[in-house]
Amino acid sequence: MTSTAPLVKRKRRRGMGIDRSPGFLTYGLLGAFVLGNAYPLWWSFVVGSGTNATRGESFPLIPGGNFISNMGKVLDAIPFWKALVNSLIVSGTITVSVVFFSTLAGYAFAKLRFKGRDGLMLFVVATMAVPTQLGIIPLFMLMRDFGWTGKLGAVIVPMLVTAFGVFFMRQYLVDVIPDELIEAARVDGANQFRTFINVAIPAARPAMAILALFTFMMAWTDFLWPMIVLNAQNPTIQTALANLQSGYYIDYSIVLTGAVMATIPLLILFVVAGRQLIAGIMQGAVKG
Amino acid sequence: MSTSTETEVAADASPRRRPQAPRSGGFGNWLSQFDRKVTPYIYVSPFFLLFGLIGLFPLAYTFYVSMYDWDLLKGKGDFVGFDNFTNMLSNEMFWNSIGNTIAIFLMSSVPQILVALILAAILDQNLRAKSFWRMGVLLPYVVAPVAVALIFSSVFNEADGLANNLLNMVGIADQEWKHTDWQSWFAIATMVNWRWTGYNALILLAAMQAVPRDQYESAAIDGAGWLRRFVSITIPSIRPTVIFVIITSTIGGLQIFAEPRLFDVSNAGGIGGSDRQFQTTVLFLWEMAFFRRDFGRAAAVAWLLFLLILIFGVVNFMLSRSIASSGAGNRASRRAAKKKKYAPKEVVK
Amino acid sequence: MSFSRRRNILGVAAGATAFALLVAGCSSSDDKNDSPASSGAGSSSAAEPVTLTITTFGTMGYEDLYTEYMELNPHVTIEATNIDTGGNARTDTFTKIAAGGDGLTDIVGLEEGWLGAIMEVSDSFEDLRDYGIEDRKSDWVDWKYAQATDPSGRVIGYGTDIGPEGICYNGKLFEAAGLPSDREEVADLLEGDWAHYMEVGKQYQQATGKAWYDHSGFVWNAMVNQLDEGYYTADGALNVEGNADLEALWAILADGAASGLSAAQSPWDWNGGKSFVDGTFATFMCPGWMLGVVQSNTEAGGGDATTGWDFADVFPGGAANWGGSFLAVASNSKNKEEAAKLASWLTEPEQQVKQFNAAGTFPSTIAAQEELAANGEPNAFFNNAPVGQLLAGRAQGVVAQFKGPDDSLIQENVFGPAANALDRGELDGPAAWQQALDLLKELVG
Repeated sequence: MTSTAPLVKRKRRRGMGIDRSPGFLTYGLLGAFVLGNAYPLWWSFVVGSGTNATRGESFPLIPGGNFISNMGKVLDAIPFWKALVNSLIVSGTITVSVVFFSTLAGYAFAKLRFKGRDGLMLFVVATMAVPTQLGIIPLFMLMRDFGWTGKLGAVIVPMLVTAFGVFFMRQYLVDVIPDELIEAARVDGANQFRTFINVAIPAARPAMAILALFTFMMAWTDFLWPMIVLNAQNPTIQTALANLQSGYYIDYSIVLTGAVMATIPLLILFVVAGRQLIAGIMQGAVKG
Repeated sequence: MSTSTETEVAADASPRRRPQAPRSGGFGNWLSQFDRKVTPYIYVSPFFLLFGLIGLFPLAYTFYVSMYDWDLLKGKGDFVGFDNFTNMLSNEMFWNSIGNTIAIFLMSSVPQILVALILAAILDQNLRAKSFWRMGVLLPYVVAPVAVALIFSSVFNEADGLANNLLNMVGIADQEWKHTDWQSWFAIATMVNWRWTGYNALILLAAMQAVPRDQYESAAIDGAGWLRRFVSITIPSIRPTVIFVIITSTIGGLQIFAEPRLFDVSNAGGIGGSDRQFQTTVLFLWEMAFFRRDFGRAAAVAWLLFLLILIFGVVNFMLSRSIASSGAGNRASRRAAKKKKYAPKEVVK
Repeated sequence: MSFSRRRNILGVAAGATAFALLVAGCSSSDDKNDSPASSGAGSSSAAEPVTLTITTFGTMGYEDLYTEYMELNPHVTIEATNIDTGGNARTDTFTKIAAGGDGLTDIVGLEEGWLGAIMEVSDSFEDLRDYGIEDRKSDWVDWKYAQATDPSGRVIGYGTDIGPEGICYNGKLFEAAGLPSDREEVADLLEGDWAHYMEVGKQYQQATGKAWYDHSGFVWNAMVNQLDEGYYTADGALNVEGNADLEALWAILADGAASGLSAAQSPWDWNGGKSFVDGTFATFMCPGWMLGVVQSNTEAGGGDATTGWDFADVFPGGAANWGGSFLAVASNSKNKEEAAKLASWLTEPEQQVKQFNAAGTFPSTIAAQEELAANGEPNAFFNNAPVGQLLAGRAQGVVAQFKGPDDSLIQENVFGPAANALDRGELDGPAAWQQALDLLKELVG
């Protein structure tokens, strides 16, 4: 009963609700959800632009006028720019490394056949199950013996590859890349690495974007380990900001101004990563 | 459809190989065999190398410590074998923390995953300002811990916090969020859910985006509604990622540490409420190590928790495999078969 | 994805990995020479360049002092790390001691509450008598010097600040209850022991129906700290079960809670600071460093100087101290002489006055206290009370109590919950005491 023309028309729309575009209810629910998520960040800004007294208000909504002057106080109190640069170096390096090696390993676990594959994969997942809080002591011993205490390497190297990343990419790639495509590449004479580059990476792009985003955020917000292994010569943004909270009289408006300032690079990253989160290229080509 | 791939691969083929089936025998063949057999190990080796260098030592060390009577400051004492483990297994506070942990885990992970699924499905649609909504759900993750502590402490304030005010509006009396067991669990679960739901939603979204749209269309043509399409197509198609979310939420949920610590402003000892109402096992481990300075027992707790997480992980894995594949999978394959049967006629018309 | 883009990713990835390895090996700090000082070189002008590392926490107000010292001693470079809270600093210090002590900075700030545990491993830190601390002994109030002395006589810390206690009270609430509100009259009114404090409290409570103090925990801590022997005897034995002094004080505390004198507040929260503003309680245990906390919380609760808080030169039971820090020299330091010199200099009276002006930390050296007493500025928030002078008076007569290894554990995790039970009316005096004993057995043994 259907002709080709309406079929083509429907194909252009995406998503599951192909009969209708998202309605008021959808936007309403989403809006409420995002508002609830966003309010604490907005609250931080409102208190940051107010005074210590603002923190005690039950539902502050309107920002005050002190943000700029508080920013100045933050910049005076701590080595903000240096810490920011350090954090960018640390988080950026970790992110690139994690995404690359996780995609590589995830692809191998997902699509290549080799002896011990499933056992090794299980081992990777199991390593996530050990609580790491006590590990700071032996890890500090290691870093000290390598002579890395106080250097950014002590924060970067332990995080260069994560079990989470490997597991995530493996789960994503296992269904997203059909085996036929890999076979086709092999038949055409491509070696493993070519196949990886030409087949796996394009398909993995949305997951790589997510993993990059999450890894960056996690590295950026890490506090305890950098506090212990670094020192004032090489602070990250979180350890530097923590000092705004010390002392016998804590001015929360300054503390929160600092917190907001440290969040801005992440928000910029959100904008960039958001654009990357589009559908993989292969989907139309693959199963049609 | 594979023509595009063929052309691309052909263009990239190295000079020493022509774009044909590999020749049998000779150096080329050996190289190709080597390539296929060894490269997987090379690809996974960075993780294992780094783990061997840096991740293994802390694990082994913690286990080693758990075998001794080890004071945090004074150092290694006598060898006690598994005494630390048996001691903790008969310790009331340990079991209290396990109970708290499991309760908070159930209250957080279960709703979180359900909401994340629905949220991802909503975000998968053709929304306006897609990036905004997608990144908007991730905002909780970047809020500073000090802000989180102040806000949630205020919301769940027993005297006049937002939560109690809302309850009062519907006639329910003030709840003692910080002093009663399950209410504090609820409060902490709320903090956890607030922070991690959007995170998990984006993971599921990435997987949903890779599901081919025409599957939905065929199903819609066959008369399947929104819910049916969701249950029968989406979820089975993203099953590996759902399993991933369930497993990582299980592991993370049983290791909750930051939120109870933030919620417990008053007790410097980090004991999770004046009566350990919401002391999770990792918080208990922390107290054991840094306040009671009993490194040996703290290490034993860490490994006991590891075992618990493994058990839960395996159970959840089995559950999620069966749920996501039963019924739904069969329906999808039946539908696909039906489609094949009817497709030629439809197209022709 | 086009071919060139793929190459791009590869290039970036390879470059980043190389970069990571490079960074791991290099320091990205402004390069300071890390050359060890020649030991025993003394403070001659021909001294070799040396870098000293120091870890402090909270705000100790040393920043300008570092600059000054470096100007006075050009061969010295100071690398200072400040950790935000005492809790995090303890995690940091304990982690490094647990990892073998090698990794502590040359000078380490130690908090009074940790001393009990640190004394068990006091050889992680140098005996400062080897660096001449005995010559300066009389600089400090005697109990502060005694606190830093371990059971075998080694002195491991230069005293920095102290927390002499007075009573913060709300003048307006006192007036409304018919009690005197002038600072000196209040001091007379509250002079006496804890039973007397509770009596006055009951008067207040009957007149206004409101609570006298915020929660039992702080009161209990103050009570215990005043005793000659607290949770441990002077030779280090646990001293809780069967301790008649403690039991008597506990009975007074329980009676106060039962009479409604405690507002059962959550410390460090105080209903978001509002309890300081809405008259929930009228008195508060105030060591010097708590003044800022009171002010900060009152402001958060919407109040200000007109809310009525004032500071009286009195404390039930006599002189008491809460908190304070020390500077210790790590045994693994490669620059012990120079580190001891710096730590000693930082804790000299002249520097302690500057420290107080920078950060409000009350000095532990007598000369500095006298200086503040003579020239201290009135604190506008506390009704222009001359806090410097008042605190100096409160610092006299404090008893140096032996702190055992689990002292702070007992205070926080044993008696904390028990005092809380009293406040919430969950248990009466004897039952709560029993709960404390049970917890003691469980946590300490």
